[in-house]
Amino acid sequence: MTAADLAFYVLSAVAVVSGWRVFRTDSMVRASFLLMLSFIAVAAIMLMLAAPYIGMATVFMMAVEMMVMALFMVMFMMNPAGLNPMSMVHQNRLSIGAAATAFVGLTVAVLFTDLPHEKVARQAPVIRDLGHELLGPSMLVFESAGVTLLAAMVASVVLSARSGRFGPSDEGSRPPGLEPGGEPAGRVPESEQEDE
Amino acid sequence: MTAIPLVFALLAAGIWLSALAERFASGRRFPSGTVFAPLLQAARLLSQQSVRTEHPDGLNWVLSPIAYLTLAVAGLSVVPFAPELAVAPLDTGIVLWGACEALTIVAVFLHGWSANSMLPLIGGYRFVAIGLPAMLLSMFVLIAAALPAQSLSVGAIVESQRSLWNVVRQPLGLPLFLLLGLAISLRGPMDYGDAADLSGGTAAEVSGPHRLAWGIARLAMLTAFAAMGASVFLGGYLGPWLPGPVWLALKTAALLLVLTWLGRNLARMPAPRMMAALWLVLLPLSFLDLVIAGVEALP
Repeated sequence: MTAADLAFYVLSAVAVVSGWRVFRTDSMVRASFLLMLSFIAVAAIMLMLAAPYIGMATVFMMAVEMMVMALFMVMFMMNPAGLNPMSMVHQNRLSIGAAATAFVGLTVAVLFTDLPHEKVARQAPVIRDLGHELLGPSMLVFESAGVTLLAAMVASVVLSARSGRFGPSDEGSRPPGLEPGGEPAGRVPESEQEDE
Repeated sequence: MTAIPLVFALLAAGIWLSALAERFASGRRFPSGTVFAPLLQAARLLSQQSVRTEHPDGLNWVLSPIAYLTLAVAGLSVVPFAPELAVAPLDTGIVLWGACEALTIVAVFLHGWSANSMLPLIGGYRFVAIGLPAMLLSMFVLIAAALPAQSLSVGAIVESQRSLWNVVRQPLGLPLFLLLGLAISLRGPMDYGDAADLSGGTAAEVSGPHRLAWGIARLAMLTAFAAMGASVFLGGYLGPWLPGPVWLALKTAALLLVLTWLGRNLARMPAPRMMAALWLVLLPLSFLDLVIAGVEALP
């Protein structure tokens, strides 16, 4: 086993174990950054596969993305600052079905695809080739994905802003309790404040 | 291989110089013996006891200063000291630097979050809100600097400045990039993480060796940032008579002093106003910088 093989197995193990821990932890912030760790391990494998730009960009994007995701989850979940323990799994049956389907699908794809065997030449202009691909034949795909993501970002900002178009966005909402059905944790809903 | 000792020498000198500059700028007494003052302060912190909060996230609490320092060293690894003389002369140098910037925001946030205490937590969240847009505009500025070089490698960017430094060719670049430097080293007008109005923000609960590690990491990141800024905008190792590493060290020192002065003398805006300024004024300015670079690069 060469050093490259060893690095590949260690990085794969990190990716799989941290991916599994995402669902076993009880905190949104920890779950986000465990997922980030998993992606960083995958990014390192990308670097080993002679895809330096995609590898580095994955680290960069995942760091920003998981940070923003942690922030937005805390904003949407009304869990004060993400400090309260809460379960990271829901809709278990649907999720198990989706996960099994994805696993089988990806395994079949890996086993039946004719993957290239020749090594990438050391001096191959891989970044230049990627740039020509992104701004050439694949431009429509990437631009559509980009505009869709932008629309999703604008929509999530509109949703999370308190000064919504149709009145305050938290009107009538009730923060979850520490125990099911318990007293609201953190901020008391305004409607109940008036009663007291 | 000679680049590795150079990186650590630059880091040590930068940390020491910025600690001294900080002391000088704060208007404290500055007798001749104070060149050793940072060492004395470090020794004092080392011998202090370490205070723990109630139920911190132990792993992140310990890891965040280490991660912060590691990211500074990693960022410095792509900075060339002379032609072809860098620890990691990567084709994707500025992308690696961008990844270090992004992970720094995560490290500072986790430092605030893991303490399980109110003021550090507010500091962490506030830093993310300001740090992310600051990082975004720094990436546009760096891409603009990469355009004339036609490469993402820091070495190629330095070489592209043989005729004219980027600070002249792209006048908007360096000022916008300095904002990020102030943000990721938590200082002055961009210090929304560790500010005095939160009793020290993410570092409000740390003491002793932990505070020393955090302080060293902040200054290391400042040094790494200054070396990167000097390479991308001030011609890096280029210069007459003196050898390359000396020029890089001089330019890094100059940027360190500028950053310390800015950190001391610019007022900090309230976070919401700074956020509006970043998204509505400074980010469009970074687009303008990119447009200028793009028009210039047209054949």
